[in-house]
Amino acid sequence: MGESKNPEMKFLIPIGLLLLFPFMRIYGGEFARGSPFDALESAFLIPLIPLLIFPIIAILGQVYNKEDWWKERFKEGGMIAICGLAIALSLSVWLAIQFFTQGTGDEDALRWNLFNWISFDVLGQTADGTWVTMEQDIALGVGIWVDPLSLMLLFVAAFLCFLICWFSLGYMNTDPINEDRNHRFYAEFVLFSAGMLGMVLADSFLWLFVFWEIMGLCSYLLIGFYYERPSAAYAAKKAFLTTRVGDVFLLIGLLILYDLYGSLDYAVIFGDPSIGGTVDAGMLKWAMLMLFIGAVGKSAQFPLHVWLPDAMEGPTPVSALIHAATMVNAGLYLVARMVPFFDVTAHGSGVEGLGDVAIIIAWTGGITACMAAMIAFVQNDIKKVLAYSTMSQLAYIFTGLGVSLWLFNNDHHHAAVIAFGASMFHLFNHAMAKGMLFMASGSVIHEMHHAHDHVSDPGDHDDDFDAQDMRNMGGLASKLPVTATAMAIGSASIIGLPLIGGFWSKEGIIAETWSATALYGASWMLFPAFLILLTAGMTGFYMTRMWMMTFAGKPKSVFAAHAHEATPWIRTPLVLLSVIALLGGFLLSLLGAVHWLGEGESLGSALGHDGTLMTVLETIKHAFLPADTFLLLITWTAVAISLVLGPMMAMRIHGGRLAKGESAHVGIAWLLPLSTRFGKSDVTALANSGVADALQRRLFFDEWYDAAVAATVIPLANVLAWFDNRIIDGAIRGIEWGSQSISGEVRKLTTGSARDYILMAVVGTLSIAALMWRVAV
Amino acid sequence: MIPAEYLAGLGAILFCIGLVGVFTRANAIIVLMCVEIMLNAVNLNFVAGALHHGDVTGWVFTAIAIAIAAAEVAVGLAIFLALYGEHESISLDDITNLKH
Repeated sequence: MGESKNPEMKFLIPIGLLLLFPFMRIYGGEFARGSPFDALESAFLIPLIPLLIFPIIAILGQVYNKEDWWKERFKEGGMIAICGLAIALSLSVWLAIQFFTQGTGDEDALRWNLFNWISFDVLGQTADGTWVTMEQDIALGVGIWVDPLSLMLLFVAAFLCFLICWFSLGYMNTDPINEDRNHRFYAEFVLFSAGMLGMVLADSFLWLFVFWEIMGLCSYLLIGFYYERPSAAYAAKKAFLTTRVGDVFLLIGLLILYDLYGSLDYAVIFGDPSIGGTVDAGMLKWAMLMLFIGAVGKSAQFPLHVWLPDAMEGPTPVSALIHAATMVNAGLYLVARMVPFFDVTAHGSGVEGLGDVAIIIAWTGGITACMAAMIAFVQNDIKKVLAYSTMSQLAYIFTGLGVSLWLFNNDHHHAAVIAFGASMFHLFNHAMAKGMLFMASGSVIHEMHHAHDHVSDPGDHDDDFDAQDMRNMGGLASKLPVTATAMAIGSASIIGLPLIGGFWSKEGIIAETWSATALYGASWMLFPAFLILLTAGMTGFYMTRMWMMTFAGKPKSVFAAHAHEATPWIRTPLVLLSVIALLGGFLLSLLGAVHWLGEGESLGSALGHDGTLMTVLETIKHAFLPADTFLLLITWTAVAISLVLGPMMAMRIHGGRLAKGESAHVGIAWLLPLSTRFGKSDVTALANSGVADALQRRLFFDEWYDAAVAATVIPLANVLAWFDNRIIDGAIRGIEWGSQSISGEVRKLTTGSARDYILMAVVGTLSIAALMWRVAV
Repeated sequence: MIPAEYLAGLGAILFCIGLVGVFTRANAIIVLMCVEIMLNAVNLNFVAGALHHGDVTGWVFTAIAIAIAAAEVAVGLAIFLALYGEHESISLDDITNLKH
C-alpha cells in the first residue's frame, strides 16, 4: 500500500459524488415537479445494489486476486463495496428526506409494492371428499414499508455499513494475514448489508425472515473468516447453530401468524381493524412468544446468548458491524414490530391478555443485562468486554420494549409510547457508540499487532502474544490519541454520562420501567427494574475498567510502548462517530426523537412551539428534574451509581498516570490524574475467589449446554446415525447389490454369437405374434 | 393348378428347415444357404398370396426378392472371405466379436 500522507484523499471525490447523486436529482427539479421516479419507488435499490455487488466482488476477486491493480485501485474489492454502500446510504437519506417533507399521508407507513413473487391457489377437501379451490390468487408480494421505526434502523444500518466498510479499507487491507482473501470479506460484507437493509425495508414478515436468514449466513461466514483457526471455525458453527434454535421458533411463530391472519404482509396484519376482534388470543400469545424466542437468538439474550462472545473470533470490522451495530438489532426490530398486536389503546386494535409475554420479554432483558455486565467485569480481552457490553445494552432495550408492550396492553398509551421511543432511541445511540467502540478497539488491536511485528523478529508469529489482551496494554492514551478520545466518548455514551448520547435513552428506559412498576401497577416489572438500575452502575464499572486498563498507567508490555497510530482509513470513521455519539443524542432528544419513534409525531415539532432555548431548557429540566419525586429519585440514583460509584471503583483498581514525558489528547488528559485520586484498592483476593472464577468461565453456561447436548442430542444423533447407516444405507446397498446380481445374470445373455441373437429375435417375433393373435382373436 | 394352401404350407416347412439349419450348423456358408432357403420360403408365400388373390403384385415382389437375394449372397460371401482373413476360420462358434 502506498504510504503517501493521506491515501484516503484520492478516493474521496468519487465516493463523495456517489453520496451526492440523489440530491442532484432532488435539486435538479424533478423532485419538485413530482417526478414519477421518487425516493420510495427507488428504495428497492437500497438492498438490491449490495446484493448485485456481492457476486461481482466474489468473482472478480477470485479471478484477479493476485493482480496489482486489484490490490491498489480496487482495494481487493473494498472500493466496489464502498461505492455500492455509498449509493445505498444516499438513497436512504433521500428516502428519509422525502419521509420528513411529504409525510405518510393517511397511512401508517409509506408503502410501495414492487411485484408479486409467487401467487397460488389453495386446494381443500370438502366433506364429501372432492378437492375444490378454497382460496384463489394468494400472492406473496415484494414491497417496501417505511415508517419511523424502519427509517431509523435503515439509516443506522446504511450509515454504519458505509463507515465500517471505510474502516475495513484500513484495517483489513494492511494486515498480512488477510493476503489474497479480502475479496471474500468484502463480498460477504455487502451481502450482509443487503440482508440488513432488506430486512428493515421488507413489507412482510416473510421477507423479514428471508433477509434475517441471509444475515445469519453472513454472520456464520464472517465469524469463520479465519477458518484455519479451530477456535474461529468452532465459534462460527456455534453462532450459526445457536441462532438456528431461535430461527426455528421464529418460523413456527410466523406459521401461526399466517394461520391466524391468512397473510404475512404488514399491511394486511396491521391494517386489519379487527386485528384483535376475531383472532384467537391464546394462539396469538404463542405466536408472539415464538417470535420473541427468535429475537432472543438473534440478539444474543439469555439463554441463547452464548454465541456472541465467541463471535469475536471474526475480524474486528465484522464484530463492529454485525455483532454490535446492526444484525443483533434485528431481534429488537422484530419485537418492536410486535407493538400493533399489543396495542389495545384507543388508536390500536390489539388483543388483550398478552401482558404475560411482555413480562417475559422484560425479565429476559433484565436478567441478561445484569448477567452480561457481571461477566464483563472479569474479561481481559478488549473485544470480549465490548461483546458482553453489547449484550447488556441490548438487554436494556429488550426491557424497555417489554415495559412498553405491557403498557400498550394495559391501556397506558402515553407511557407506552415514551417507553417505546426511549428503547428505539437507545438502539440508535447504542449502535452508533458501540460501532465506534469496536472500531476503536480494532484500531488498538491493529496497532498492537504492528508494534509486535515491529519489535519482535519479522515473521516470528510463534510466540503466544495476544494483541487483544488488555493485560498487555496500558499507557496507550499518548500513543493512540484519536482512538483514546473516541473510546472515552463512546464509553461515556454507553455509561450514560449526562448530556451525551446514551444518557437520554438509558435514563428514559430506567425511568419508564420504574414508573410502570410504581405508577401503573406492573408489580412483575419490579425485578427487571431493579436489575437494570443495578446494571447502570455495573456499566460504569466495566467500561471505565476497560478504558483504564487499555489507555491509563504505564505500558504493561514492550509492544504497548512502541504502538503508534499510523494506519490510514481508520481515523475518519472514529472521528465522525465520536461527534455523533457526543452530540447526536442531545440534538435528537431536542427534536423529540422519542415521540417521533414512539408515535410518528413529526420530528422537530417541539421546537416550533416555544423557541429553541426554551426547548433546550425544557428538555434538560425534563431529564434531570422530573415533576414526579419518585422518578427524580430514580434518575439521580442511576446517575450517581453509573457515573460516580462504578467508575470510581474501576479507577481505584486500574487507574494510573501515564509514564513521564507522555501526554494525552487535551480532551481526555484530565482523566488520568483524576483516576489516581481515589486511592488504590487491592483486589487480588477477590480476583482469585470462586466468584471471579465462575465469571471467568462465563457462569458455566457453555459447560451446561455441552452437558445438555451430551445427554440429549448426542444419544439421539447416535440412534439416527445407526438408522442412517443400517436402514437407509442398507436399503440403498440392497438395491445396489440386487441390481448388480441381476445385471450379472443378464450379461450372460450377451454371448457375441450371431446365432444366439437370431434365436432371441425369433423368440421375440413369436412372442409378439402370439400376443397379436390373442388380441386379434 | 396347385392350390395356394399347398404352396403356403411348403413355404412354412421350408422356413422351419432353414431356421433349424441356421441354429444347428456352425459353418457360415451353410448358414447362409439356410438363410437363402428361408428367403425362398417367403417367396413361396408371396406366390401363394398372388395365386389366392389373383393379383400379380406377389409375382413382382418375388422377382425383385430373388434379384436382391443374389446380390445379398455376393455381399455375404465377401464378408466371409474377410472374416476368414481375420480369424483363419468361418465357423460361427469362433466368431463372438459382437459382444465387444
